[in-house]
Amino acid sequence: MGGDFWCVFLWHGSNESLPSAEAVMFLKFSLRSVFYGAGGGNDIQWCFSQVKGAVDDDVAEADIISTVEFNHSGELLATGDKGGRVVIFQQEQENKTQSHSRGEYNVYSTFQSHEPEFDYLKSLEIEEKINKIRWLPQKNAAQFLLSTNDKTIKLWKISERDKRPEGYNLKEEDGRYRDPTTVTTLRVPVFRPMDLMVEASPRRIFANAHTYHINSISINSDYETYLSADDLRINLWHLEITDRSFNIVDIKPANMEELTEVITAAEFHPNSCSTFVYSSSKGTIRLCDMRASALCDRHSKLFEEPEDPSNRSFFSEIISSISDVKFSHSGRYMMTRDYLSVKIWDLNMENRPVETYQVHEYLRSKLCSLYENDCIFDKFECCWNGSDSIVMTGSYNNFFRMFDRNTKRDITLEASRENNKPRTVLKPRKVCASGKRKKDEISVDSLDFNKKILHTAWHPKENIIAVATTNNLYIFQDKMN
Amino acid sequence: MEFKLEAHRIVSISLGKIYSARGQRGGLKLHKNLLVSLVLRSARQVYLSEPGCPPEPPPAPAGHPEEEPPPRTAAWAAEEPPLPPPPQDEAGRDCPGPRPRRCCCGENRGGCAGAPPPPHCPRKRSAGERGQAGSPLKKPRREEEEPPPLPPPPSPPCEQEDMETGNVASLISIFGSSFSGLLSKEPKGRRRPPLDGGEAAAGTAPAEAAAEPGQICCDEPVLRTLNPWSTAIVAF
Repeated sequence: MGGDFWCVFLWHGSNESLPSAEAVMFLKFSLRSVFYGAGGGNDIQWCFSQVKGAVDDDVAEADIISTVEFNHSGELLATGDKGGRVVIFQQEQENKTQSHSRGEYNVYSTFQSHEPEFDYLKSLEIEEKINKIRWLPQKNAAQFLLSTNDKTIKLWKISERDKRPEGYNLKEEDGRYRDPTTVTTLRVPVFRPMDLMVEASPRRIFANAHTYHINSISINSDYETYLSADDLRINLWHLEITDRSFNIVDIKPANMEELTEVITAAEFHPNSCSTFVYSSSKGTIRLCDMRASALCDRHSKLFEEPEDPSNRSFFSEIISSISDVKFSHSGRYMMTRDYLSVKIWDLNMENRPVETYQVHEYLRSKLCSLYENDCIFDKFECCWNGSDSIVMTGSYNNFFRMFDRNTKRDITLEASRENNKPRTVLKPRKVCASGKRKKDEISVDSLDFNKKILHTAWHPKENIIAVATTNNLYIFQDKMN
Repeated sequence: MEFKLEAHRIVSISLGKIYSARGQRGGLKLHKNLLVSLVLRSARQVYLSEPGCPPEPPPAPAGHPEEEPPPRTAAWAAEEPPLPPPPQDEAGRDCPGPRPRRCCCGENRGGCAGAPPPPHCPRKRSAGERGQAGSPLKKPRREEEEPPPLPPPPSPPCEQEDMETGNVASLISIFGSSFSGLLSKEPKGRRRPPLDGGEAAAGTAPAEAAAEPGQICCDEPVLRTLNPWSTAIVAF
């Protein structure tokens, strides 16, 4: 990133005698990049930008946000909720005169993706909650995304309509058919502009392939296939074919009484279309190559860190369960999130992660209470920034954390309506684990465990982040001078 | 002893979670119930391997660990080499400060009175097994390997203040058939589980019993009849 800015700066410098306003801005960016390191986590000043969602404290269960995802360009931001709805926000085109702020995200489309269903055979209700959304890269004017609940994946096409045909011969403008005998002249229908309408239509329904609850979907880099993973199996689909899928991983034991681990997340490698990883409830990650065999039960690599015996407790198993796995954009690293930490793994090294970041180590002594109130089962996600230099994940009390891999500094911020003036710089927060609490620190016992940030997303190119609290979506961006 | 008490509490909580999971919307969550069953197994192991309800915890931290019989990790030995018993002086050094070694559920216990760390239940696969194909390890049947149980003390009062005998009987009948008993019942939302007997005595419906996990079950005979973790999730 820094390199690009330098090039531009030099170009401006050589062609103009006096630096233009633009050149000055580039100069600021490039100097900042050089001196502070591009994308330095603590050197980004995060500002509140927007918050979406209901204000009142009484949260309707259907409004609980269950997934957040930027599309490949970052122009669109999709959220899914427990009520089965998908809401897509679109970034406004940047206002050239207001160079100090990026476009706002406004609602672009809202649709009901999944409805509650009932499995009559098993007498079980199937929740409509959207577990994951994944965008396809844009190929034409329309946008496509995959959304999934526990059992069914759907491919949605989101398209714009800003023209409509008028002047049919056999139909009135309101759609009623005209009596053909009353037609005396012929005219050619023409397209006339209309108010922009965004339509979402389900193009494919991929159903009946999962016995257990789907936890992940991931689109292959070939943009033709994708995988879906449930607790015990991973299936490979072709985007065009809905009546068939290939099972590529099956860890169901012959006797369910011998079950010891489940699949918790799975993702395709960003560049290698035959490689994917899946994480388990035992804290292991397996990398599989589909070229090796049709059924990838034998992993190519197994990533596992030996347990620290001094940390052993009744809950060691639970907190080592991996809740999310994400490849870096480069494809060289992958990140895993377990209950207390974020780990970065080099794909070439299986026996331990290359970096470990503690998210909220102060909770280690509270595991029993967290088990009691079920918080220990919370599945936090994690994400990379566009340049893979910073990773972000959520915590409790509406806190979220960022770790800068280069400077090794970290920051804790809070998503709260109290800081809701645009361009208000967020104040770093600190949790006091024990002992004397300093001013502005918050003690562990005052943390609100009902306010959890499970889902976060980082714009693929800019320093814009989307952070979901229970039912609100916060958008923060860096302070642009 | 605190560990036994804590283990007992964890067992109650875990059973409550499994019980209440039956009626939840969307069906049994395999992952969560697997984790709960693992905790349940761990806690049960600790609970059963600790001696029966002892008198007051000894005031002096030192010396206590020696009286403790070596942890019964025989059942686990099949899976991994047993770990050496904890060093004696560590317990003394630890208390009353925070314990670096496993303190039951990891909580820092300032007032912890020198009880030794509970037996290790190492669950990470050893290097030799790591090369195994992705199928999960088979867990050897534990029940047959356990040493014969101590004669159960007559309802040790220190642990069972709120014994709801009615609920215990109900749960025994459910769990007696190794969790498949759990699953033969209808989910809570549709029909009340046809528990036999005991409800009248307790006066609380099973749903409410699940809401108060501390009161469910958990005396030694029940724990021994539990056919555990292994079978927790035969849901599907």
